[in-house]
Amino acid sequence: MSAIEDLALELAKLPGIGRKTATRLTYHLLKQPPEASRRLAGALVTMAERVRSCEVCGNLTEDAQCAICRDPRRDPALVCVVEEASDIGAIERAGEYRGRYHVLGGRLSPLDGVGPDDLAIDALLARVRGGGVREVILATNPSLEGEATAVYVQRELKAHGVAVTRIARGLPVGGDLEYADGVTIAQALSARREMP
Amino acid sequence: MKAPGAATATAHAAAGARRPAAPVHLERLSVRDFRNLAREDLLLPAAGAVIVGENGHGKTNLLEAIYYLQLLRSARGARDSELVRFGADGFHLAATGDFPQAREVRVGFARQGARKKVTHDGVAPPRLSDGLGGVPGVLLSPRDVSLVAGSPRERRRFLDIALALSSPSYLHALQGYRGALARRNAALRSGGRRAGAEAAVAAWEPSLAAHGAALWAERLAWVATHAGEFTRLCAAIGERGSAVLGYTSRHAVREGGTAVLAAALESQRSHDLRRGLTHAGPHRDDLSLSLDGRELRLYGSAGQQRTASLALRLLEWATLRDAIGRVPLLLLDDPFAELDARRAERVLALLGEGGIGQAVLAVPREGDIPPDFTRLERFRVRDGAIEGAS
Repeated sequence: MSAIEDLALELAKLPGIGRKTATRLTYHLLKQPPEASRRLAGALVTMAERVRSCEVCGNLTEDAQCAICRDPRRDPALVCVVEEASDIGAIERAGEYRGRYHVLGGRLSPLDGVGPDDLAIDALLARVRGGGVREVILATNPSLEGEATAVYVQRELKAHGVAVTRIARGLPVGGDLEYADGVTIAQALSARREMP
Repeated sequence: MKAPGAATATAHAAAGARRPAAPVHLERLSVRDFRNLAREDLLLPAAGAVIVGENGHGKTNLLEAIYYLQLLRSARGARDSELVRFGADGFHLAATGDFPQAREVRVGFARQGARKKVTHDGVAPPRLSDGLGGVPGVLLSPRDVSLVAGSPRERRRFLDIALALSSPSYLHALQGYRGALARRNAALRSGGRRAGAEAAVAAWEPSLAAHGAALWAERLAWVATHAGEFTRLCAAIGERGSAVLGYTSRHAVREGGTAVLAAALESQRSHDLRRGLTHAGPHRDDLSLSLDGRELRLYGSAGQQRTASLALRLLEWATLRDAIGRVPLLLLDDPFAELDARRAERVLALLGEGGIGQAVLAVPREGDIPPDFTRLERFRVRDGAIEGAS
């Protein structure tokens, strides 16, 4: 197999990249000076060697603990549970949350053979048992699987005397009611609030 | 899915004003590689048409093609891959006309990757289920007797289709329920005797209970609304006894669904774990159909079962009409084949009460066309080819 085919084949394994794009990227790199490819390869190797999971929360980090777990200004009594480490980025961009995180590494999905043992639920329970946690916020996705995962974690936490909350769902801010789907509107209606 | 919700509201307004609902009009149908139909393009008059053809030549397939544009699956429960004409890579159906949601509805299926695509006026809806109901219609066929004589599964399918096509909230609950049920069953099977298996199964129960209760509520409401009409229709078609439509479940469905179903799921859990299957819930319920207190499925004569199945189809037609505020298509697949002439006449009179819109009737011979339909334009179907006969 030629070096060109070899690289195109590797690139095509990436999400969102088909055979065509992979070939285009390969030829693009060939036109660049060799130094550019060396830098890209170096960055890939460094990433693969350095990045690992935070030993406390499962977030991605280059150290034993992630920047959020080490930050003394973040409230350790508040733990937000998410499905994937990439969800942390979304919540952080909102800039509102001042607590810490716990990454489950997926969601309950028995049709794909993913059960509770495949998720970092024991680690979460150990964290809560360790003391100092006041509230656990369940921020799994509002899908069938995310909902069941939240239910499972909530029941596991029940015996531990910690407050468990679920993020709300409804209409997106700045959105137009006319364009929202019926299911979302129905849920927003059933979760309506009295105005003070 | 905002359109069906809005349509329901206008339907009630229209009924209040007692203005006759405008009929759905299928003007042009194009069929490619569907069953034994290779390439057919039909122009259909507003009143409808009669398809004449011997059995096995493709007239049922044509009605199934029209119905597919509404349900996005086979009316007969066949797999999509089985609908593709022998030797073809996929099928494609298109309808243009006056429909509630669009002027043009298209659906295509490719054998490769089993992909299905629906468009309404050229736009693909966000989810496939948002494309349901494009060409509203009801199909009456001799097979319908299995609604009465067949297993409870047949009657649940009838109820699910009738309600999902007329109520967006029912469709949502049905999808949520089926999704949660498949996952709870998978959790039951992978759980085995492992410690903690119960908790992994229990996680699916709140969604199952909430969606299941929504199904119960809408099914019960439908039965309550239509039970009287069912009795009246059966009598009008010619049944001497008193026919009764009811809903049977081994749960106390009338006493508040979610809590009842949640409790049933919990108490069945260890039993379910041993059997690897969920035993409680609306997916085990049934419509009960009886005549003078005797179950029609077991004790009804062939004629009584035919009458009751026709009455169910007439209810389905009225349900759809009330939900969308339009008169749905009437697809008649030789429905009076096993009915005596007097009963067939009465069924047609009953259909006329609500105002028949566009009707497509399929019969084996010219002589089988009832008097009311002899004015309609005729097509002849032979070996999967359709031609104008008039």
